[in-house]
Amino acid sequence: MTKKKLATIWLGGCSGCHMSLLDIDERILDVVKLADIVKSPVVDGKELPEVDIALVEGSITSDEHYKEILHIRKQAKTLIALGDCAVMTNVTGMRNYFPLKEVVDAAYVNAVSNDGQGELPNHPCLLRLNDKVVPLQEVVKVDFVIPGCPPDADTIFYVLAEFLNDRLPDLGKTKKLKYG
Amino acid sequence: MNKIPVLIDEKKLEVDPHRTILEVCREHDIEILTMCHLKGIADIGSCRLCLVEVEGINKLMSACTTKVTANMVISTATERIKKYQRITTELFFAERNHVCAVCVSNGSCELQELGYKTGVDNIRYPHLFPQCNVDTSHPWYVMDHNRCIMCTRCVRVCNEVEGAHNWDIKNRGHQVRIISDFDTPWGASTTCTSCGKCLHACPTGAIWPKAIVQGQLVKNPGMITELVEKRKMRL
Repeated sequence: MTKKKLATIWLGGCSGCHMSLLDIDERILDVVKLADIVKSPVVDGKELPEVDIALVEGSITSDEHYKEILHIRKQAKTLIALGDCAVMTNVTGMRNYFPLKEVVDAAYVNAVSNDGQGELPNHPCLLRLNDKVVPLQEVVKVDFVIPGCPPDADTIFYVLAEFLNDRLPDLGKTKKLKYG
Repeated sequence: MNKIPVLIDEKKLEVDPHRTILEVCREHDIEILTMCHLKGIADIGSCRLCLVEVEGINKLMSACTTKVTANMVISTATERIKKYQRITTELFFAERNHVCAVCVSNGSCELQELGYKTGVDNIRYPHLFPQCNVDTSHPWYVMDHNRCIMCTRCVRVCNEVEGAHNWDIKNRGHQVRIISDFDTPWGASTTCTSCGKCLHACPTGAIWPKAIVQGQLVKNPGMITELVEKRKMRL
């Protein structure tokens, strides 16, 4: 069996899902036996090559994420939404209850610690926030979802191991479904 | 009382008449999913989770409000029922703002449990993300409309068991909301006795005591059932 290519990508989330991924501990050795991790916040890969599996944490919150997820979809044979934010927006989506301007003003302009001096960051290098945060599946086709905030390390390993061994995981039957 | 024969999931049963399909199923360990049902208070068939197929009737019937009749043939777990249960559960999640990660009820929530049972791993419908109020005006309790699924168990328990009728309902469709008195802050209520029954009746983290933090809430809806039974015994 040829070695598979695996990427893990961090979009609009808190990186907690990646922390949970690291919590698979020494089982990461079992993963790298079957796959090369070619891009991830925890390795030094810069570009996303064509991969067999892409684990994507976080929701789509900005123009940058939007472009990125379209690129990931193009490059990945199997796209897995990792965690509640990627699957159903979760905490990231809590700003959707309010108009975007109200939200950024609350953080940058009206925050008490700004002493009335706050202003909106406006550098051209910065990403532009979308009006509404959406889960991955509203932008691209998602092949598998792992809900949870964060998903348990055991669940992440189970899903990875199944896909790397060319099997289809089932969170319902294995009683691994969890939100929050 | 004469018993009547019914067939549930191909099991022949002899049951008391005048009972609901739900009561009969629960007595015989046949699992029926419910949200708006709470033993001890009136059933209204609003959550649409306890739907069953009855032979000879095209539409699905709510088990909590349909009484058994002689020779009824009932199915409780067909693919059609499972499909609708999953859709209903997903719509609960999509309609309001259910963020399990920051909820007091995380880990002991009937809505979460329902999601696991119906196999909901993602929500196929766009979230509405409504702007909902959080009423913190009561000295001890909070009403968070973001987490309410409109089961109305609080309304019924307040009316039928406590007899206070603090809670009621306003509006229709997705704008429907639970209100205190005449849509005034809970803390200003002249009818609420602060008994806390609504809190225990609530299946999610919509009503909770202020002394509780994320994931710490444990509810005891069985206490309401017990209370109703004890009152009957005293009569």
